[in-house]
Order: sequence, then structure tokens, then C-alpha cells
Amino acid sequence: MIFSSELIKGTLKTIVLKQLEANGRMYGYEITQRVKELTFDKIQITEGALYPTLHALEADGLVVTETEYIGKRIRKYYSLSPKGKTKIEEKLSEMAEFMETMKFLLDLKPI
Amino acid sequence: MYNLTDQQIEFIRNDISARGVAMVSLQHDLLDHVCCVVEHGLEPDGDFEAFYSSSIRTFFKDELREIEQETITLLTFKHYYFMKKLMLFTGTVSTVALTAGLIFKFMHWPGAAILIFLGVILLSLVFLPLLFTLKVREKQNTKDKVIIGIGTLAGICISFSVLFKIMHWPFANMLGIIALGITVFIFLPFYFLSGIRNPETKVNTIVSSVLILYACSLLLVLIRSPKASMEVFAAETESVYRSERIFKEQEKLTSILVKSELPSDGKNILQACEELKTYLVQCETGIPEIRDSESTLITDGSAGEYLSRSPEIEKKLVALNSEIGRYNQSLSAKQQKVEGLSKLDDRRVSQAINDLIQAQMVILQNQSTIALNN
Repeated sequence: MIFSSELIKGTLKTIVLKQLEANGRMYGYEITQRVKELTFDKIQITEGALYPTLHALEADGLVVTETEYIGKRIRKYYSLSPKGKTKIEEKLSEMAEFMETMKFLLDLKPI
Repeated sequence: MYNLTDQQIEFIRNDISARGVAMVSLQHDLLDHVCCVVEHGLEPDGDFEAFYSSSIRTFFKDELREIEQETITLLTFKHYYFMKKLMLFTGTVSTVALTAGLIFKFMHWPGAAILIFLGVILLSLVFLPLLFTLKVREKQNTKDKVIIGIGTLAGICISFSVLFKIMHWPFANMLGIIALGITVFIFLPFYFLSGIRNPETKVNTIVSSVLILYACSLLLVLIRSPKASMEVFAAETESVYRSERIFKEQEKLTSILVKSELPSDGKNILQACEELKTYLVQCETGIPEIRDSESTLITDGSAGEYLSRSPEIEKKLVALNSEIGRYNQSLSAKQQKVEGLSKLDDRRVSQAINDLIQAQMVILQNQSTIALNN
């Protein structure tokens, strides 16, 4: 099963921030591949969702970028800013609470 | 693993920008991403072009540009709350400034103009554009967006035309007519017809349309019609012309009645007033003197504007005022003082000419007083 992009949309910022926290600096393709591996292909982040989110996080000051030349092309590495590092805790606890609420609201039994 | 050549990278780069992605940092992201996809997905002897075009296809629904649009939307959304706050803040400040300005103006307190100016500028250049930007985001179809756009434009024009009017700046009337025209003939029909079809907004639309129409009509009632203006101008011209004739008669009478010469300061004042009158009439009508009140009209032009056109004339006015000061000091108790003309540039042309004629009349009368006392 692949989760729909609508389900992923609201959680994408948290997913990206968590990956950056766990792996230090990452580039876009790496993030998509890593998430795909970790979720056994269940969560496939599309390019159309990932890059707008990364740019928004950068504008919010939560991530910073550094660029490196890979042959003829530029690779942008994203990593957490100090502000992002404090924000990730908040995001994770918000997500945990949200999932608890959802379980209760939708009356979900553990599989 | 496939090895991309420099030409192939260049090809992808050009393709990405040809597909409408203009943000450079996004171009870099996408280029690197596609390259990674190709390098990891394509066999060393695979077909680059076919693989590339099928993989770029998975990036979007309809167009690659969507990614950039989504990025821009997210980035502007970040400013949404700030814009909303700023809108409410400028709305409040401009309302307060405008209200205070109007009270000051009624009471003739200093600072009225600056308060009104501040209020109108904030309202039309910050509040209304922000309102437009935020409202447009809420509306889905283009027609609603266009209506909001026209409404904003009309609002800006109306507030500017009122500002221009009370500041006596040029083009106020033209701006007002354009603004009311846009409101009544373009905005209102669109707004009314689109709102009345929706049962939810029907009542609101009717009420607002009536109010807008009513407000525009009230504004129009306040505006003098061109015909009425002509009548007012004709009456003012007639009054100036009559004063001028009375003065000419008095001049003749005085010269017969009084044998003694005019004092030199009196003569200078008469002379200078005559020059200023001729100058103002020339500026206003194109000819140096009013022949009758039918062929030439004095409108409500500002004397100050004409006076400021010529530094020479401005100097003359200053000299005239000091001459009047000297003249007034040399008068005997029975003689009248000449009213100073330092406020001449705040007057309308007809008023200014009348002021000058009155000054001349006083000089002549003072001269007669001498004759009568002898």
C-alpha cells in the first residue's frame, strides 16, 4: 500500500525535519530515497511536494542550505538550523498527540 | 549506474527552464534530482532520452511549473498572517487619522491637511491593496477576482480624488469623474449581477449595491455641474468688471477734484496694483484686461498658482506690501489704511483682483479726503 499524497501533505514538514535531524545534511533525492526505504515504499514523497516544502522551511529559517558542485551541476544540501533543531521537538510532540487523538477519534484498534 | 555527460546535463537544465521553472534555486534542486534519478535508474547502456522523458513526467500532474507555483504559494502564505495584521493596523490608523483630520479641518486647527493626507495615503496605498491581495486568494473563479480588482481600483481613485479636491490639487475633478464612472458603470453591474445569482449572498449584494449607489449619488449631488460653474464664473467676472469700472470712474473724479499730486508711495501702489491685475487677468483669460463679462470669463483658478509662475511678479508683490506698510504709516487720522496684500496667493483670481482694486480705491479716496479737508 502507498499512502495518498493528501495524507502525507500535512506531515511532510515533520518528516523532512526528522530526517535532517537523524542524518545531518541531506540533498533532495536522498531524502525521498531514505523515506522510501524506511517505510518499505509506503511513503513516496513526490518532487512536487518536497521542494516547495524545503523552500518554505528555508524561508522560515528552520533549515539552511549549502551548495556543492557535482561535475557540471550544483547539489544543494539541506540541514537543520539552530531554530530548526528546537522546532523539531515541538513538531514531534504535536504529531504524537495528533496520532493519539486520531486513534481515539476514528476508534482505531492496534493492528 | 548511468554516467551523464555534460551535454546531457545541459540538456536537462535547458529543458527544466523551458518548462517554465524560473527560480534558480529550484532549478538547481530539480536538475540534481533528475540527474540522480537517471544515474540510479538507467542501465549504463540505456536510452537516455526515453528514460529522461518518462521520469520527468512523474514529477508533476500537468506541468513542471506546478512545483514552482506551489513553492511561491507556500512562501507567500508565510506572509499571510503578517499581511492580515498589517491590513488591520493600517485600516485602524487610516480611519483614526482621517476622522481626526476632518475634525481638525472643521475646527480650523493646524495639522488637518497632514492627517487627512496620511489617512488617505494609508487607506489607498496600503490598506486597499492588501485587502485586494488577501481577498483574491479566497476567491476561486477569475470573475470574482476581476470584480475585487475593479472595486479596489475604484476605491483608490475615489479616495485620491477626494484628497486632491480638498488639497486643491489639479485633476481632482477628472479623477473623481473617472472614479465614479468606474464604480457606477463597471464595478456595480458586475458586482450586482454576480452576487445576486448566489442565494447566500443575494441580500448582502442588494444592500451593498444600494448603499454604493446612494453614496455615489450623494457625491455627485455635491459636485457643481458644468453649467452651474459657468454661471458662477460669469457672476464673479461681472463683479470684477463692475469693480474695475467703479475704480476707473473714481480715478477720473479724483483727478478732477484733487489738484495736488498723489504722494509717490500712493502712486507706486496704484501702479503696482495695476500691473498685478493685468498679469492675473492675462494669465486667466489670455488678454490683459476684461472687456466685458460675456466674452471673457474668470474661473476659480488660484491666484497663488499664477503668481508663483513668475519670480518677477512675486518680487513685485513683496515690494508692494512694504510700500503699503510705509504708506499706512504716513496717513493722517482721518485717512483709511490700505489692507495688506500678503495673503494674495491664498485667494482665487477674482478675489485677488478685487483685493487689488480695493487697495487702489482706498488710495484714491484718501487723496479725496485731503481735497475735502482743504
